[in-house]
Amino acid sequence: MAIIGGVGVISFRQPIRSVLSLVVVMLALSVLFLLLSAQFIFVVQIIVYAGAVMVLFLFVIALLGPARESGRGRLRFQAGLSGLFVLAFFGLVFAMMQGVHFRQPETTDLNVFGTVQSIAVGLFTNYLYPFELTSILLLVAAIGAVYLSRRDDPKN
Amino acid sequence: MGTLDIGGSQMDTSWFLLLGAILFTLGTVGVLVRRNPLIILISIELMLNAVNLTLVAFSRQLQNMEGQLFALMTMTVAAAEAVVGLAILVDIFRARDLEDIDDLSELKG
Amino acid sequence: MNTQALALTILLLPLAGGGLLAGRGWRMPRVVTQIVGPGVVWAAFAVTLYLFFTQSSGDFTYWTWIKSGSFELPFNLLVDNLSLFMCLVITGVGALIVTYSVGYMAHEDGPSYARFFTYMDVFIFSMLLLVLAGNFVFLIIGWALVGLSSYFLIGFWYQRRSAVLAARKAFVMNVIGDVGMILGAFVLFVTYHALTYRQVFGSLGTQFCGACISPSQVRHASDSGSLELAAFLLLVGAVAKSAQLPLHTWLPDAMEGPTPVSALIHAATMVTAGVYLVGRMHPIYDVAVYAHDAVAIIGAVTALFAATIAIVQTDIKRVLAYSTMSQIGYMFLAVGIGAYSAGFFHLLSHAFFKALLFMAAGNVIHAMHDEQDMRKYGGLWRQLRPTSIMFLIGCLSLVGVIPFVGFFSKEQILGAAFSRPGNLGLAVWGVGAVTALITGFYTGRMWWMSFAGKPSAERPVAHPHEAPPVMLIPVGILAVLATVGGLLQTHVLGFGTSAVSDYLDKVVTPQSWEGGAIDVVIGLTTMVLATLLFLGAYRIYVTQSWRPWTARFPRVQRTLERKYYFDELYNAVFVRSMDKLADAGYRDVEAPVLDGGLDRTGATARRAASYASLLQTGYFRNYTLVFVAGVVIVAVLLLARFAS
Repeated sequence: MAIIGGVGVISFRQPIRSVLSLVVVMLALSVLFLLLSAQFIFVVQIIVYAGAVMVLFLFVIALLGPARESGRGRLRFQAGLSGLFVLAFFGLVFAMMQGVHFRQPETTDLNVFGTVQSIAVGLFTNYLYPFELTSILLLVAAIGAVYLSRRDDPKN
Repeated sequence: MGTLDIGGSQMDTSWFLLLGAILFTLGTVGVLVRRNPLIILISIELMLNAVNLTLVAFSRQLQNMEGQLFALMTMTVAAAEAVVGLAILVDIFRARDLEDIDDLSELKG
Repeated sequence: MNTQALALTILLLPLAGGGLLAGRGWRMPRVVTQIVGPGVVWAAFAVTLYLFFTQSSGDFTYWTWIKSGSFELPFNLLVDNLSLFMCLVITGVGALIVTYSVGYMAHEDGPSYARFFTYMDVFIFSMLLLVLAGNFVFLIIGWALVGLSSYFLIGFWYQRRSAVLAARKAFVMNVIGDVGMILGAFVLFVTYHALTYRQVFGSLGTQFCGACISPSQVRHASDSGSLELAAFLLLVGAVAKSAQLPLHTWLPDAMEGPTPVSALIHAATMVTAGVYLVGRMHPIYDVAVYAHDAVAIIGAVTALFAATIAIVQTDIKRVLAYSTMSQIGYMFLAVGIGAYSAGFFHLLSHAFFKALLFMAAGNVIHAMHDEQDMRKYGGLWRQLRPTSIMFLIGCLSLVGVIPFVGFFSKEQILGAAFSRPGNLGLAVWGVGAVTALITGFYTGRMWWMSFAGKPSAERPVAHPHEAPPVMLIPVGILAVLATVGGLLQTHVLGFGTSAVSDYLDKVVTPQSWEGGAIDVVIGLTTMVLATLLFLGAYRIYVTQSWRPWTARFPRVQRTLERKYYFDELYNAVFVRSMDKLADAGYRDVEAPVLDGGLDRTGATARRAASYASLLQTGYFRNYTLVFVAGVVIVAVLLLARFAS
C-alpha cells in the first residue's frame, strides 16, 4: 500500500491528488512503525505528520488553486537522465543491502522499548541538547513563516 | 539478514529497508521530474518519510532507542522545513502567478 | 717608506677625491672643488715621483679576491719601470690638465663644476688602475672603467644631443674593444690556467729579476697558435681604445666634450692605453709574430689615413683629434716592429705637445667665446701673443722640428723602422715618412689659418682676451717640457742621452737592431721636407698666392671631408641592421609572444569561464540532477574502493 501511495505521489498531475497519496503513504508507514515497536512514533506520525503537515499542504493548495502541469517542459533530457541515475542509485542501495551484516542487538527490555517513557528518557537526558535545538528551530520556522507570508502594506 | 521477533512471528528487517529504499527512490524521481513546486515539496516529504522508516527499522533491529529518537527529530525538522518552504512558495508564486519551476531561472549563467 | 702601501696610495688618492666630490662636492663652496680636484692628482704625482726616484719595484698582492680550487685571483699591483713611467705621464700631465680646467670650466654652475672634477678624478683613478694592475682581470676592470669615465666626460654637457650621441658612440666602440680583451683573457686562461702577469708570462718562459718582468728570452713557445689568437683579441681592445682603424670613428666625435677632456683623454692618457697594452704584453707579442706585425701595419695605415683627413678639417679640435689618431699610429708602428721604448718615448713626447696643443686651443676657444671654426679666426697672433707662441711650440713639436721633443721621438721611430731588417720595416717607414710630410702640411695650415693673416670677417670677438693665469701656467709648463724634453733621449742623433730607452729597456724588449748614420740623415731630411710643407701652407692659406689643392681635386676633398665614408659605411652595415633587428624583435617576438601571450592568456581564461558558465543553467531541476548524480558517483567510487 505504501508503494502504491508513493507512486501516486509522484504521478498525479493534480497536486491535490498527490497530497492525498502522500497521506496514504504516511498512514501505511505509521502502521509499519507500530509493527516495529515504535508506539510513540506511530502516534506522532499520524497526529503531526499526516494530521498537521498534510493539512497545511492542503491549505496551500487551496490557496494557490489547483494547477495542472502541462506539456513536457523545457528540459528534454531531464527525465531520461534522472531515470538513469535514479536506477543506478537504487541499484547501489540494493547492492549495499545484500552484504549487510547486522551486529548483535543490544539487550533491552522489549516491554519498554519504543514506549513513551523510553523516548522521554532519551530526550531529556542524553539528547537534551538536540531537543532544545529543535525547539528553537521550530520557533524560528514559525517566525519565518509568519514573516514571509506577510503582505506588504504601504500603511505598515 | 537480521530477523525480528514481532508479535511472535519472525520478520526480516530487510523488507523494511527495501520498502524504505523504494520510497526514497520514488521521492527522488518526483523531485527531479515534476515541475510543479508543490509536488516537489511533497516528494521531499516522501523521501523524509522513507528515511524515518529506515531509521526505525534499524532501531528495532539493533534494539537501540537512538534510531527512534533520530526519527523524531527528523520529523520535527521536516515539519519546520515544510512550513518555511511553503511560505516561501506562496510568496513567490502569488507574486508571479507561475506554476512551473523552470520559470525560475534567474541564476542562469 | 713602504712601497706596497705607497703604490696603493697612488690609486686611492684620485679615487678618494672623486668620491668626496661626488658625495659632497656640490654642496661645498667652489674653492673646495678647486683644491681637491687637482690636489689629489698632484699628490698622486708626488708619490709616483718618490717611487720613481727611489727606484722601487715589486709585485704586491693586497688581498685575494677569488679562490676556487687551485685557482686564485689576487688584487695585485705590479710596480715596475713601465708602470711607473705610465703613472708619471698620467699623474703629471693629468695634474696639469686638471689644474687648467679649474679655469676653463669656471663658467659652469656649482653642481656641474663639482661633477666635472669628480669625473676627472675617477678617470685618473681608472687609468692608474689599468696601468698598475698585476693581472688581466683588473686590467680589464680598469679598461672598462676608463671607457665609462670617458663616456661621462664626453657627454658632460648632456643637454646637447650631439654630445650624448658622441659619448654613446665612444662607449659602444670601447665595449667592442672590451669584448676583444675579455676573449683574449679567456684564451690565455684556457691555455695557462692563470691570470696574473707573473704566472702567464712565467709560463711563456720569461725570466724574472726579483719582482719585475725582464725581457723575454724565449722566442718560440709551444702554444703559439693560442698566443696568436690571444694577441689578436687583445689587439682588438687596443685598437678600440686607441682609436686606430677600423674602430676609430668615435674619436673625432668625442671632441664634443670640453677641451680639457680632449686634452686628458684623447691626447695624453686613454688613447695611449692601447700602446701600453702592447708594451705590457710584449712577451706575448714577441712570440705571436703575425699579431705583432698587424700592430705595426694598423699603426702605419692609421697614421697616414688620419693625416690625410686632417688636411680638410675646419674645426680646430678636429684637426687635433685626427692628429692624435695619426700620432698614435706612430706609436703602434713603433711597438709593432719591436722598438718598444721608441714608441713609449713618443707617447711621452706626444703627451707633452698634444696636451699643450689642446689646452692652448682651449685658450683660443675660450677667448673666442666657444667658436671652434678656424675659418673664423685669423690674426690672433697680435692679440693672444702668449698662447700663439705656445701653440707654435706645440705645432713645431708635432711636425718634428729640432730642437723640440717631437723631433727626437718621431725620428727615432722612423729611424728604427728604416734600419730594421726585413721588408716590414721599410714599408712602414715609407708610410710614416709620407705621413710626416703631410703632418707638416696640416699643422702649418692650422697655425697659419688661426694666428696669422688678417682677422676673419666672421670673427665673433673683435678683441679677444688672453686666458687667466690658472689656464696659462699649465700650458706654459707643457711648452717648456715640449721644448727641453728632447734632451731625455737625443739618441737618435747618434750621440747624447738615451734616458728613456735605458729606463724602459729593463722591462720591455730592447730594440734588437742598431741604426746607422743613415738614419740621422734621413731623419733630418724628413724634418726639412716637413718644415717646407709647413711653410708652404702659409702661401696657400694666408697670402693666397698658390691655389689650394682642394680646388683642383674636389672629389678627393669630399672624400676626405667625409672621412673616407667610414661613418656612412658603419651606419649602413651595423647600425641599420641593428635597428632592423630591434624592430623585428619587437614586432615578431615581443609583441606577439610577450604582450600577445599575456593577452591570450587572459582571453583564454575568459573563454574557459564562459564555457564553465554554461553549467549554470539556472534550472533547479538540473541542479538536483547533478546532486543525485554526484551522490551516485561518489558512492560507486567508495564501494569500488572498499570492495577491492
